[in-house]
Amino acid sequence: MVTLYLLILPLAGLLLTTLVAIAGGAGGDGNGAGAPGAARALVLNKAVALLGFGAITALAILARGEIGAIVEGPVVLGFSLSFGLTPLSWYFVMMIAGLTFLTVVFSLASVRGGYPMYYGWLFAKTFGMFGVVMAGDLLSFFILWEVMSWATFFLMQQGTQEARRAAVGYLVYALVASMALFAGVFLLYRAAGSFAYADIAGAIAGFNIGMLLLAVALTIVPMLVEAATYPAHWWKPPSYAATETALTGYLSGISTRIGIYGMVLFIFVVFGLETIDRLWISTYLNLRVIIMVLAALTMVVPTFTALFQHDAKRLMTWHSIGQGGYMLVGIASGSVLGVAGGLFHVFTYLTYVALILFSIAAVESRTGTTNLNKLGGLIKKMPLSFLGLLFGIIGLAGIPPMNGFVSKWLIYRSLILGGHPFIALAAFTATVGTILSVYKLIHNIFLGQLPERYKDVREVGPVMQIPIVILMITVFATGAFPGLVLPWVARIQESLGLTPIAWSLTGVAPEMGQLNMAVISAVFTGTFLLGWLIYAIGGKRKHVGQYDNYAAGHFLDASVPYNYNYEFYSGIEHIFGRLYERPPIKRAEAGLVELLKRAGDFTRRIYTGHLNTYLAYTVVAVLLTIVILKGGL
Amino acid sequence: MNFSLTVLIWIVVYPIIAFSIGVLLGGYGRKFTARVQRRIGPPWIQPFFDVVKLMSKSTNISHGYMHDAAMMMLIGGTVMTLYFVPVPGFAYFSQFGDFLVIAYLILVPSLGMALGVGETANPNGSIGISRALQMMVGYEMPFVLTFIGMAMLNGTTSMYELILRQQAGGIATWGIVTNPLLGIAALISLQGMMNEKPFEVIVAPHEIATGPMTEMGGKYLGMMFIQHLIAIVVEMTIYINLFLGGARNWLELIVKLFAVWTLILSVHGVYGRFRTDDAIRFLWRVPLPLAAVGVFGIMLGIG
Repeated sequence: MVTLYLLILPLAGLLLTTLVAIAGGAGGDGNGAGAPGAARALVLNKAVALLGFGAITALAILARGEIGAIVEGPVVLGFSLSFGLTPLSWYFVMMIAGLTFLTVVFSLASVRGGYPMYYGWLFAKTFGMFGVVMAGDLLSFFILWEVMSWATFFLMQQGTQEARRAAVGYLVYALVASMALFAGVFLLYRAAGSFAYADIAGAIAGFNIGMLLLAVALTIVPMLVEAATYPAHWWKPPSYAATETALTGYLSGISTRIGIYGMVLFIFVVFGLETIDRLWISTYLNLRVIIMVLAALTMVVPTFTALFQHDAKRLMTWHSIGQGGYMLVGIASGSVLGVAGGLFHVFTYLTYVALILFSIAAVESRTGTTNLNKLGGLIKKMPLSFLGLLFGIIGLAGIPPMNGFVSKWLIYRSLILGGHPFIALAAFTATVGTILSVYKLIHNIFLGQLPERYKDVREVGPVMQIPIVILMITVFATGAFPGLVLPWVARIQESLGLTPIAWSLTGVAPEMGQLNMAVISAVFTGTFLLGWLIYAIGGKRKHVGQYDNYAAGHFLDASVPYNYNYEFYSGIEHIFGRLYERPPIKRAEAGLVELLKRAGDFTRRIYTGHLNTYLAYTVVAVLLTIVILKGGL
Repeated sequence: MNFSLTVLIWIVVYPIIAFSIGVLLGGYGRKFTARVQRRIGPPWIQPFFDVVKLMSKSTNISHGYMHDAAMMMLIGGTVMTLYFVPVPGFAYFSQFGDFLVIAYLILVPSLGMALGVGETANPNGSIGISRALQMMVGYEMPFVLTFIGMAMLNGTTSMYELILRQQAGGIATWGIVTNPLLGIAALISLQGMMNEKPFEVIVAPHEIATGPMTEMGGKYLGMMFIQHLIAIVVEMTIYINLFLGGARNWLELIVKLFAVWTLILSVHGVYGRFRTDDAIRFLWRVPLPLAAVGVFGIMLGIG
């Protein structure tokens, strides 16, 4: 029963917020700006969203008791849609509900644009994502997938002018992916005579290699596009970077990860590992290895592209693509540690990316910019946001004791011991690249010289601080005690028919390797205290201002630009510069666009604008119809 | 291995031992370089005098709390890495963290230094950090690949087990003998990791006023010296554990440390400094392919 409410409540929220927005818009200019009615409507919508998502989060927790139960939905095309929770879908439901709630709380204070439908689209998006992860058959999966894609399209437009243009770019990719998925779903239906996962899995066993390849391509490729896997990742940076900053965190954190859910669903539930492994050319080259190589490229290329970015949001968007590679590589490896690492990484990534982007949003709300060349030295003005970003980047870089290290450790170990040394190298290299770009991020925002124009900036208020603090605690606590989440990951593995990971509260059981995060955290604290002891032995310190600085005999004041932030990694930019200016994939895409334009140009000539041409078309069409219907003259 | 009084004593004493060996190595290094350059050089114990002098300075300029905390993170992170690297008589922590943990713990002091130097708000410092991080991309790739090879070959990511396997058959089972390509690649990367010439681009006194150390004085500089002395012990011990069969007793470890150090110093003493991008290119063009060939060999079962 709770399962059903998880779908009904977001729909009701969407309806209510839409009505309120329309009622408010009637009194104003429809943009929400300057109109008293619209402003009141927005306040009301904020209240609806806060209550609604609070209730949804509570329901999501309650729904745990209903795992395994199936709820019949409405009948579409003679098929009854069905929804239900599995351990995997509950994991995602919890993440969706939790992150959406935190995003809503944070947005109450951070979003200034006055978008009338901001919370409405969040409800729609939640409905779509819940539906996809709870779908009990492929038809429901496909229908809700469509709903989700459109909700994402509308949600993304809450931002600058650029956001509206970039959202269309997303829509093109999403629609192409949807069409492929549509074909794939009906191909499987034709074969199995049913949309149920179990029936399809049975029917696939009888497929020949050609059919199997087609079915796999039509279902897995859309998931790879949704997960922004190289080389289908280009829709992401412009659209995510132009949207509202809190939404960038939300979309990177969970929206793209529905693609990972789909990958797990198709690889382990619909097709099954054995069927997937029938697609092989040689021992070293099968479908899973191809996916892993794509994942490796997804890790390395976007991570190093992030180094070149001058905008905090755009930099993080590239990482959002890159981190997806870690999840994908873990899941495609199919090993105990790999799948556990991939699934756990979805959670850890969600926590620290939201933390990072909330901190960036906090800075943006005070300074009005996310341009990394214009900020600097804010550490003394916004200490909590600094700490939030610090926790987040340590997690993202995968350095102990934060939770990002645990999921990456599982993936590295599975790759090394699973005999994929070069993919493991790619994972390590991407991590080093991550450290570089996140240091640039924190340095250019919070460290270095504080520009004179920001000398009166204050820390953000409690409404924005609360989500940041909650996420900081989560990132640290699940880092020191991964056993808070790992049991659930083990349960998912079990439900997928895989060997579950042997976990302990503080890491993994000894038979899985040597990792005890609580001891690592304790040693971290202890040695830090040793550092403090040595520090205390030394003489008294004296704090000085930023202009009291070595400048080779020059005198510093506010008029002297004395900061290093532009082209931060000049050496590496020198090595990769040309590749960055004209990436090969971008060139291929430009070629495709040109081809489409020419085709469109040609098609356009049919519409001459002369009535007699159209009349001629009509006559020809009528004649043709007669010919076809009569079966010849 | 369970927690006992012996472990507790080791926890207290080990940083002091490592620091003392670091002082000897550091002093030896300065003496050795001086002799290569036909100078006399300072006394062997000079690094210790430096630390004492700097720690007792009365003027200690700080640029803020992150600057202060960075110094604690610097020493803390290095000592933490030290604990997790197994040495004769003390391998207690290796049951809680394998090489993958060590590989990331070793980044903690760098991160601490980077944050602290960032707050000092000096462009020379920021350039130094930028170079340090870029160098990391250079040396980390070949070094990690050599480790991946060793782990694949032995079927474990635990450094302790790697040592045990290498000690099983004397010199013949040392990593450098069974996989010379990996051993050489790691040695070249080690030169970069230890920031010695020709990879000494971070401090570069003539270019960026000693980079990260520009705004460091008094006890801040003193703590950086302490960290550096412990770090050279940690980094070389990791190499010895991976490729030179670890050590059965402390005498063996110290001999091996001095041997590796001499090798590194003899390159350091006679080379100039690469430009940052050239240093990275060199590390990608020489040790990385060497390691890749070595790992291919292991995959094909030749190693």
